[in-house]
Amino acid sequence: MKRLITTAAVFASAVLLVVGCSPGSGGNSASSGSKTFEFWSFTQINQKADVDVYTKAHPDVHIKLTEVGSTSETAQALTTALAGGKVPDLVLIQGDDLPKFMQSPENFVDLNTFGADKVKGNYLDWVLKQSTTKDGKTIGIPTDVGGMAIAYRTDLFKAAGLPTDRDEVSKLWPTWDAFLEVGKKYVQATGKAFLDNTPTSIFFQAVNQGTERYYDTDHKLSYDKNPQVKAAFDLTLKVFASGISAKQASFSSGWTAAMSKGDFAVVSAPSWLLNQIKTNAPGTAGKWDIATIPGGSGNWGGSFLAIPKRAKNPNAAWNYIAEMQSPAGELAHFLSQGSLPTTPSVYSDPQLVAKTDPFFSNAPIGKIYTQSVVGIKPFYIGPEDGTVGTELLNTLTSVEQGKVAPANAWDTALTNVKNALRG
Amino acid sequence: MSGKVTAVTTMLGPATAAENTTRPTRYRHIQQGVRERLAPYTYVAPFFLLFFVFGLFPLLFTFYVALFEWDPIGEHHYVGLANFSQLVHDPRFWGALRNTFSIWVLSTVPQLLLALGMAHVLNHVRLRAATLFRMSVLVPYITSVAATTIVFAQLFDRDYGMLNWFLQLLGLQHVDFTASVWASNIMIAVMVAWRWTGYNTLLYLASLQAVPRELFEAAAADGANGWKQFRHVTIPALRPIIAFTVVTSTIGGLQIFTEPLLANTVGGLTCGAARQCQTLTLFLYEQAFGRFHFGYGAAVGVALFVMTVIVSAINYLLVTRIRSERP
Repeated sequence: MKRLITTAAVFASAVLLVVGCSPGSGGNSASSGSKTFEFWSFTQINQKADVDVYTKAHPDVHIKLTEVGSTSETAQALTTALAGGKVPDLVLIQGDDLPKFMQSPENFVDLNTFGADKVKGNYLDWVLKQSTTKDGKTIGIPTDVGGMAIAYRTDLFKAAGLPTDRDEVSKLWPTWDAFLEVGKKYVQATGKAFLDNTPTSIFFQAVNQGTERYYDTDHKLSYDKNPQVKAAFDLTLKVFASGISAKQASFSSGWTAAMSKGDFAVVSAPSWLLNQIKTNAPGTAGKWDIATIPGGSGNWGGSFLAIPKRAKNPNAAWNYIAEMQSPAGELAHFLSQGSLPTTPSVYSDPQLVAKTDPFFSNAPIGKIYTQSVVGIKPFYIGPEDGTVGTELLNTLTSVEQGKVAPANAWDTALTNVKNALRG
Repeated sequence: MSGKVTAVTTMLGPATAAENTTRPTRYRHIQQGVRERLAPYTYVAPFFLLFFVFGLFPLLFTFYVALFEWDPIGEHHYVGLANFSQLVHDPRFWGALRNTFSIWVLSTVPQLLLALGMAHVLNHVRLRAATLFRMSVLVPYITSVAATTIVFAQLFDRDYGMLNWFLQLLGLQHVDFTASVWASNIMIAVMVAWRWTGYNTLLYLASLQAVPRELFEAAAADGANGWKQFRHVTIPALRPIIAFTVVTSTIGGLQIFTEPLLANTVGGLTCGAARQCQTLTLFLYEQAFGRFHFGYGAAVGVALFVMTVIVSAINYLLVTRIRSERP
């Protein structure tokens, strides 16, 4: 009896040990036909709608869609998978996370091998440049861009004696300085804050409108020397000093509450933020409108589809990309979901131009946002862009919280960036 | 003890007994001796094998990774102790260390004191619906940490939180709990204490119920009031369990993660734009999984390990002293 138990115990431990060690155990998908592939996306972008459209047109294709989590959680999961786990056949990567993956392009299929080089002309050149390696490999196909605009509350503007028509409002602020003057007028008339916050609504917008950001043309970090970054930073401090900010950090619970209570009248809104305004402040439907952003064209946000090198079914994944990210596919996605296409050929399409949103006083969102992304000068986005941007933004948030004196802000920001870049 | 073991081994199966008859007696004794010595190790083997795979190996591998500049999907470069020398000069690390200890003290001390008091009250003879109260103290513990944290974050909000609404009623200034180090540490500590007070109360209560009622009755007959009973009967009776809870809440306190991750979303993984309430575990997570600096993250892990060992050693000394002090 004892021997039996002993043998059983040793055997059981050995089995556990082997199971625990063997790589990739228990990860095989049930059916691995050539028409089946696995797709990792993030939440709140509704790729499910696209997948449904595609599988309806191709009933023989089976797509296993997983919404991993937020954009950064999806990037984390992808990193872990690439480092030694089961990879998906197709993955959606948010623009801010892309530079990290561009550092090791050997982890992904060069989409030119599938003919991506033949459809390159379909896409905005400055977007495609972000997913193209130095030696010309295409790692990702852009699915959408953010664009830039200002969302404002017509009812609050009216109460403050400001114009409410979107063209007139756009004319009020051709520059950020003019925008600041409008803000001051609003505060004087109502005694309430004008803008949600300065770090996100001013700095992140203004710094994205330049011809160069945190890297120079030689792909070297230049955030501390680039006068455009300093100018955007100083502009933010100037707007803060004028007292028009509600000091509600973007995406915080206070920001959400203030939005539905009307405690600020204006927020910088890339196209993907419109859905968040709708979800956060459903009671304000019809009270918003959209005007052009001061300072000219620019972009914030966007995503790419990529195929990991070890994908089991890259062909099926590419067929999906080729169909859904064609100009017609992106247009259809815009009309149903509202994400801005990256294919300029559809920007003059009558359906896109005619697209309006009742939540935002029937603003022609297609027309407004596409105007903000044409004519953008591409700048290099490097692997440390996320780190630099976050540290600069956080320092400006500390200024709004009264923890950093505006006079010391730039030096503090540079110190914070340096600490972060070392680690 | 040894008698028992011999009894078990003599009950071996008939096959063994049959084999043994053909062999010299001395050999049989040796064989039995080896078996007796091996048996206990075999029984504990499953745990230790699993521990080596999921406990010891990752631990040692962390030490190894800490010597590299380690990109999970790219290259690995050996850098020796560079990660550690950088850590020592990193103000973000020292800030996280300060936050970890301050949140730990701010949460553990009031938490254990409150739990002691509550256990004393819940143990009272004349308490009605005792089971209901005893069960309900455990509700915060079984509620999802994430849900609790999100609700608390709203209570603590600068402009729209209930807490600041009360402060305003009292004619006080609004406090921005995400902005200053102290306020944000207190905010996190309250969430931690909320979750664990009930759990510790039940532990104290369980061991209080093992204390004979006569002790309290005798104390009362001698004219000891509630406080004196608490001071001279309850606390001495609870010495061992107090020592236990101090140890567990210390280990838990050094690993606080979910609360700072979700309570203050300003700044991403930093618990505040200026890392006001970022704990060591959150700093580790930010470096390793937010920025993919696995080597540096591992170095933070090693530092955390060393600290846990030191704190545990201090704890051990304290606990042995508390235990040996008899009432």
